[in-house]
Amino acid sequence: MKYYLAIILTAILTENFVLSKFLGICPFLGVSKKLNTAAGMSLAVIFVMAMATAVTYPINKYLLEKNGLEYLQTIVFILVIAALVQLVEIILKKYIPSLYSALGIYLPLITTNCAVLGVVLLNVEKRAADPAFGFGASMFNSIGAGCGFMLAMVMFAGVRSKLESNDIPKFLQGLPITLIAASLVSVSFLGFGGIVDNIFG
Amino acid sequence: MAEKRSLGKEFSKGLLIENPVLRLVLGTCPTLATSTSMVNALGMGISVLIVLVCSNTVISLLRKVIPSKVRIPAYIVVIASFVTMVQMLVKAFVPTLNEALGVFLPLIVVNCIILGRAEAFAGKNSVIASAVDGVGMGIGFTMALLCMSTIRELFGNGTLLDGASTSILALFGVTKFNGVDVFAHLPIEPALIFILAPGGFFTFGLLMAFANKIAESKGKSKAELRGCASCPMAASCSLLLSGEKEDVLSKNPRAAVPAINSEEVAK
Amino acid sequence: MKSFKEIVKPALILFAICLVATALLALTNKVTAPKIKASDEKAEADSCSEVLPDAKFFGEAETLKYNGKEYICYEGINDNDEIVGYVFKTSSKGYKGDVTVMTGIGPDGSVTGVAPLNLNETPGLGMNAKKDSFRSQFIGKTGVIGVSKAGHTVENGIDALTGATITSKAVAESINIAIELFGVKTGGVN
Repeated sequence: MKYYLAIILTAILTENFVLSKFLGICPFLGVSKKLNTAAGMSLAVIFVMAMATAVTYPINKYLLEKNGLEYLQTIVFILVIAALVQLVEIILKKYIPSLYSALGIYLPLITTNCAVLGVVLLNVEKRAADPAFGFGASMFNSIGAGCGFMLAMVMFAGVRSKLESNDIPKFLQGLPITLIAASLVSVSFLGFGGIVDNIFG
Repeated sequence: MAEKRSLGKEFSKGLLIENPVLRLVLGTCPTLATSTSMVNALGMGISVLIVLVCSNTVISLLRKVIPSKVRIPAYIVVIASFVTMVQMLVKAFVPTLNEALGVFLPLIVVNCIILGRAEAFAGKNSVIASAVDGVGMGIGFTMALLCMSTIRELFGNGTLLDGASTSILALFGVTKFNGVDVFAHLPIEPALIFILAPGGFFTFGLLMAFANKIAESKGKSKAELRGCASCPMAASCSLLLSGEKEDVLSKNPRAAVPAINSEEVAK
Repeated sequence: MKSFKEIVKPALILFAICLVATALLALTNKVTAPKIKASDEKAEADSCSEVLPDAKFFGEAETLKYNGKEYICYEGINDNDEIVGYVFKTSSKGYKGDVTVMTGIGPDGSVTGVAPLNLNETPGLGMNAKKDSFRSQFIGKTGVIGVSKAGHTVENGIDALTGATITSKAVAESINIAIELFGVKTGGVN
């Protein structure tokens, strides 16, 4: 349990996908204007990350690695993720329309979101370095990464709502000030370095 | 439509007017992540350039064969194959670069610039124009990365082109040049934060402000993240109303495309 | 026939594209795989001779167990067929994943050289562990090596990299494992 807790906390805080790994910057800058869209997008990302890991892990372990086809990882993973997102969208639309209306509109955007492919590839990398990093650990890492994405999105949505009402020098208006604000938010995440190791030894 | 424009224009637009990073705001993730040193930035830029030119050419060749219904998956397959090839070549010939770029090398697959150019340009234009477009956009991307990384490496590590001969330059037989230690003789220490994550956002913000200032003086509009419009999935995305699709994907993405507010569509 | 045109044909074309792409990838893999293996082996061989300069040849890789983890060890041999030391490949947890270090240890149990492999730490901080000024501190050391921070010196210690204590500790820890392994290997001489 401690092991999984350490994985999840590392993924959220020290290895925050957006603010320290630079994955998923596009939605982070593009969809963080309002709190509720930021939250909706993040929930969809957590959902897709978990699904993608659950599907790609067995494919990688039992199909690719067994047959020495690791070099097909990138192409197989991206296609599986794309197909999965489409499938989930169709199923949600048909059977759970309430969930679809909440998350559905974000789903197509996520296919080419580098955070999802990124988490899947990082899981593979972590497993190559440490064979004990199994299915459970991969799932916790993915969910943690998704939660980290959510934390960054929600925090940043708060910062941006403050920015809106401020008087900003003309040359910084728009994207530049957003990026500089993101820089300050990411300073706060620097402080988490090493915290998880110190808690869990 | 673009057939009438000269090849020179197709090439040069990617460098400045439609610079993918600073004007179209595409590919922000690799820009921030791999600009920690000039050598990494150069390696990433060249990898993207190769993938972009190859995928643009092949997609343009196949544009009459690929049915429009399955074009996005077909583009993804083409792009992913080239990315994997580049990855294997980098692993074989410049292993240190592979280590430094890590997961961002395979992630070129989802780099918005590449799928974006496939969808917006290569799928509609002749082979030569598409290849030239790829070269221009690829060089534009590399230039933006080099700008970022020069600032970050100089102020963050006090060097320029540090570790060049162990990485990309080794390919060209240069084994002695290992960069310039600019800060070595100065009485000040470099500010590490430029290399860390916050420095990345900060430098990008300042460069963007600078690019906007120049654009303004030339009478162009500011670079804006157009939300969904910059996403290559926009064409197949249920978020966009049918009338706006064409605008979004038209040759001139700076045309007045209203930022799509997801909320409004949700209602 | 409408369904053929709308469903089967696109599917077939997509399938054909996938097939061609996979075939090309398999081909590239066939060409590059031996090169990748060779360059990995060369990197390891290079760092072996770097950390144990007295050795001219290295023996087959040997797997040693320590604390439930497996590590690799090479025997270093000089021109006269004498064993002049060992190179150990050990790893420990760094700031962003595992730090792998090649450590050369002479017959007397002292460190002859260290070279971090697979270092993927923060540029400008942890990556400085590759610099000679940091690595040379380990040469000649025996016993358990500690890490000194600014204003806090430990016995038999090396100076931590500025702002990268975790990486410094990971490198030192890997070297300590190598020293332990040397003891196991030579039957407790150390």
